[in-house]
Formats: sequence, C-alpha cells, structure tokens
Amino acid sequence: MPKVPLIQTKALCKSYFNEELETPVLFDLDLTIQEGEFVSIMGPSGSGKSTLMHILGFLDNITSGQYLFRGKPTRTMSDDELAQIRATRVSFVFQAFNLLPRTSVLDNVMLPLLYHPTIPVYEREDRARKAIEKVGLTDRADYLTNQLSGGQQQRVAIARSLVTEPDLIFADEPTGNLDSKSGVAVMEVLQDLHKQGHTIILVTHEMSTAQHAQRIIQLLDGKVDKDSTNFKRIIAKKSNTLK
Amino acid sequence: MKLRDTIRTSARALTINKMRSALTMLGIIIGVGSVVLMVSVGRSFEGYILDQIDSFGGGAIDLYPTGFEKFGQTLDSLKFEDYEAVKRLSTVESIAPVIIVTEKITYGTEEASPMVFGTTKEIQRNYGLKLDLGRFIDERDVKSASSVAVLASETAENLFGNANPIGERIRIGERFYTVIGTLKTVGSLLLQDLDEFVYVPYSTARSVTGQRYLSYINLLAVGDDKLAQQDIKTILRKRHSIRNPEDDPDKDDFLVRSSEQVTEIINSVSLGLTAFMGLIAGISLLVGGIGIMNIMLVSVAERTREIGLRKALGARRQDILFQFLIEAVALTIAGGVIGIIGALLLGLVLTAVAGKFLGDISFAMSLPAVLAAALMAGVIGVAFGLYPARKAAALSPMEAIRWEG
Ligand SMILES: Nc1ncnc2c1ncn2[C@@H]1O[C@H](COP(=O)(O)OP(=O)(O)OP(=O)(O)O)[C@@H](O)[C@H]1O
Ligand SMILES: [Mg+2]
Repeated sequence: MPKVPLIQTKALCKSYFNEELETPVLFDLDLTIQEGEFVSIMGPSGSGKSTLMHILGFLDNITSGQYLFRGKPTRTMSDDELAQIRATRVSFVFQAFNLLPRTSVLDNVMLPLLYHPTIPVYEREDRARKAIEKVGLTDRADYLTNQLSGGQQQRVAIARSLVTEPDLIFADEPTGNLDSKSGVAVMEVLQDLHKQGHTIILVTHEMSTAQHAQRIIQLLDGKVDKDSTNFKRIIAKKSNTLK
Repeated sequence: MKLRDTIRTSARALTINKMRSALTMLGIIIGVGSVVLMVSVGRSFEGYILDQIDSFGGGAIDLYPTGFEKFGQTLDSLKFEDYEAVKRLSTVESIAPVIIVTEKITYGTEEASPMVFGTTKEIQRNYGLKLDLGRFIDERDVKSASSVAVLASETAENLFGNANPIGERIRIGERFYTVIGTLKTVGSLLLQDLDEFVYVPYSTARSVTGQRYLSYINLLAVGDDKLAQQDIKTILRKRHSIRNPEDDPDKDDFLVRSSEQVTEIINSVSLGLTAFMGLIAGISLLVGGIGIMNIMLVSVAERTREIGLRKALGARRQDILFQFLIEAVALTIAGGVIGIIGALLLGLVLTAVAGKFLGDISFAMSLPAVLAAALMAGVIGVAFGLYPARKAAALSPMEAIRWEG
C-alpha cells in the first residue's frame, strides 16, 4: 500500500492579480514530496520558486488545482486550522528574511513560540538561545535586527525557523547572503535536522548548495522541468571548509 | 496564544514604536482635551454670568428711559415725578432714583474716572453694598443736598491707596465733597464693576448737573414682580399719555426690565453659547479623530506586514485582533485620561486667570462632556485601531507581507 505523501500538488496554478492585471506564474504543476525527504528546488530567477514555496508553506492561496497536505486538500482547511499548521508543523526561512524591525534578535527568534500551543513558556528563551547558537549569533542575541549585516539577518531568519523544530522546514535561498563558511554551517544544521527525520525543502540557485539534498527539482517558467535523485550528495562538515 | 503573551506583545509593540504610539496618543489627547476644555470653560463662564444676575437679587426691577435718540439729544423721559409716582405703588419698595454724573474725580494729584451715581440710601440694599468704613448716604444728605460721597473699594484705593479716606475732601467736577464712607469689595453686577463706583446724594447730583430727568431707576418688587411691572407700566403710560393696550415696548418711552427677564435672556444666550461650544467641541473631536485615523493609516503598511509575518509564524486571526484591540484600548485610555486631566487642569488655570480680571469664576467641570469625549475617543480609537488589523488579518500571510499600501 503506497504511503500518503506529505506534500502533493495536482495541476497547481498560481497567478498574481494586481488591479485586474493577471500575472500567471505556476502552470499545472504536479509535484510529490514524501515525509523525510530533503529536496532542493532550482531554476532561473523569476521561474516561480519562491511562489511555489509560499504555497507549499501555507503562506499563500492557490489560483486553481490542488494542494494536498497529508492527503487533505488545503482549500478545505479553515483559517484556524491553517494557523495551527503554521504554528506547529512547518517553518519558513524567507528569501527577504522578514524580521520584525526595532526588535532584538532574541525576541525575533522567540516570536514563533508565542503562537505555539504546547511549548511551555519557561522553555522559550532556552530554545531561542540554542537556535541562535546554531547559526553562530550568540554574541548578537541582544542586538536589534537593523543593527545586523545582511548575512547576520539571514541567520536570524534561519534561527527563527529552527526554534519550534517543526516536521517540515522551507528555506528560500538560506545561504544567499552568506560566505562559504557560514553557508556550510547552515547546510550542516539542515542536514542534521534531516537526519533526525525532518523534511527539508530548500531553494537555491547554486548547484553546490543544491547538492546537499537527496533530490533536485528544476523549475522552468512555472513548471517542473527536471526532477531527479542527486547521486553526488555533499555532506556538510565544518572541516570541509578548512581546505 | 495566551492572554499574557498577547498583552505583552501589545505592550512591546507600543514601546518599540514610541513615535507612532506618542502621535496616536497625541491625536486622542487633543481630541478629548479640546472637547472637555471647550465645554467646561463654556460652562464656567455660563455659571459666572448666571451668578452676576443672581446677585442682582430676585424681584429686582430696572426702569430705563427709551425712545428715539436724536443726535445730541439725551433720553429724558423719566422725570423725578415719575419716580415719586412709582414709589407710591403698593407693589414696589426700596426704590432708588439715579442720576449719573459724568465728571472726573480728583484728590490732590490722584485722578479717577469711576461711575458717579447720584442716588438715595435705597441703592445700598438693592445692590447689596456693604460698608467698610463710615456710613452710607442717608435721608438727611438727600434732603439738604450735602456735598458728601461714598467710595466703592477700588475707587477708594485708586485715590487714597491704603490711607483712610474718611473726612477727606475729593473733587468731582467743580465741586468738593467730603468722603463719609467706603464700601467693601462686591465684585461686578450685570458685568459692571460695582467696585469702581462713587455714590453722592441724588439731590446734589441733580443740582450740579442741572438735570431734570433720571438716568435710571432701580427698585424691588413686593411679591410677584410681574404685577409690579404691570403697575409700573400702567402708571407711566398714564402719566406720559401713551396708549399701549398691545403692550408693545416700542410704543413706550421707557423700559421695565426684571432680573428674571435678564436671566431668561442670558440663559438663552448661554444656551446658544453651549451649543456653539458643543459645535467647536464636535469639530475638535472630528479633527482629533482624523488625526488619530491618519497616524494609524500612515502605519498601516508597516502594521500589515507585521500582521502577515505574525500569521506566517502561526498567529490566528483572533490573536492578531486581540493584540490590536489591546493596543488601541491602551492608547485610547492613556490618551483619554491625559486629555481629560490636562483639559481640566488647563480649564482651572484659565478660569483662575479670568477670575483675576472678572472677579469670582468657579470652574465647572462638564461631566457629560467628559463622558462624551471618553466614549467617542474609545469608539474612534478602537475602530481605527482595529480597522487595519481586520483588513490585514483577512489576507493570506504573503499578501500581507508584500503589502505596500
Ligand atoms: N506580488 C506579485 N505580483 C505580481 N507578480 C509577481 C508577484 N510576486 C512575484 N511575481 C512574479 O512571479 C514570478 C515568479 O516570482 P518568484 O518570486 O516566485 O521567482 P523566483 O523563482 O523565486 O525568483 P528568484 O530566484 O529571483 O527569487 C516573477 O516573474 C515575478 O515577477
Ligand atoms: Mg525567490
């Protein structure tokens, strides 16, 4: 008996509408991702990678077609149900970070915990500090986000996505602003989580980053162009960067 | 989301965005404050004006000459004989004829130009004047047309400073008068400052001015003042051969005015004043409301992005609305309380300053204005605080995060 996929899209279409002007971005996209996979999504700029991620991450509506999460169509889910999934099952590293301005790193990272129904209050700061440590920002925990460099802000966004340790993590160009050493550290964190059973979906335009995944999907003009197993998998180890 | 977290989140949002919070509060403070200030100050002055009339005394009646005032011609329709006739009416008591002397007063090098009333002892009772030193004009003074004068408090002070004026001789026009008494401060009556008066015997004023008519008559009614007024009109019309069964004041050459009529006039004036104040208050509330709205709409784009982010991280719609409700309520209460207290303090100061010039004004807080202002600030603050939150919470997280306004 085949397993119910974690993520499945059927003929998924997405258009943006700005004052009646329609911008179609995704066309009849079919995609299946199983629980526990580590997938990289690649493709040229403007091919719809972020758009797809937002939809799969429960952050945007679809125009037509279906998105089934564990077999259940997301269209039938209520507002509160979606909020519950966002709070507990998934997390998202935005390409544009989307941090709260004029707010400390620690508070930004703790933000998802406010909306988590089961993580107790006394664990919050501990969890946040651990996530901050994982991305190497311990000495910046009390800085305001606008006092950080682009790469540091990106790492805050990553720490925020780790803090609830959800089953499914979306990372949209998480290493885009990082030097190779910090980039490798981030990939190591993601691979660790994957080893523990989390599902990871990563967007990148660098083959060397994409190759950390088990599977690489190529998008082109809003459609899946290639979908293949990655046989040249790179395992991120900090020692690798010392060469 | 737990209530405690929501409250803490709201508090954070307010303290992090100090400028935004301060400006929003300022809008509320101005809106609420101007309503409370306008109406309270209006009420205080209304109370002051009504007090003025009150001290005039119930049953007091004024009698003025009227008529067509030709160039250079004075109103001379009220004669001494009219006064005698009115005095004999059974519905009238304590009647004081008045001749106004328009002359400067000097004492040595000191000069003053008070109101000089040539009158009789009855004016003391009618005006509620209290002696400070010496005595008031009496019947003998009037009978013998003696050159004596009673000074009201401010006139006395202007001419003599702290020295005792009794027995001193002052000059009014061409003639010298002996000061026989001074009066205690009484404040003003019908907006005339009674403390800047001088009283001399009626007969003396009559002989120095050569005036054969009265400037004005003041009296008290016995019992119903409507009856007294009717009696006065009847007798004066008979004496002046005026036929006026329609009771048209334009046909008379005199005017009878009771304190109650004055009260009525001033009541209607102050009602108009209150309505006008209310209008200004309404406008200021509107302006304040638009101010609050503007501040909130200016930050809508940023707040919408914040809401998108919070939703992306798992916030439910109710978490968002509750956070914004608490923020709006906190700002409205803080702004409202500051606005009300500030306006009341400012009102107190303003009436105290005005009191320095006008005499006693007691500050009257207008409770309905306070309540109305608080209510409207609450409605506006909460409505415009929740408005962007409601709109943003209905968007998908990404739609909200991408929002540019
Ligand atoms: N809000 C929007 N309104 C209209 N069009 C949009 C909107 N957001 C994105 N698009 C369009 O959708 C297309 C795909 O955008 P998307 O951000 O998904 O690309 P991407 O593959 O992530 O690109 P990149 O590698 O540069 O991040 C682009 O052509 C873009 O112009
Ligand atoms: Mg993108």
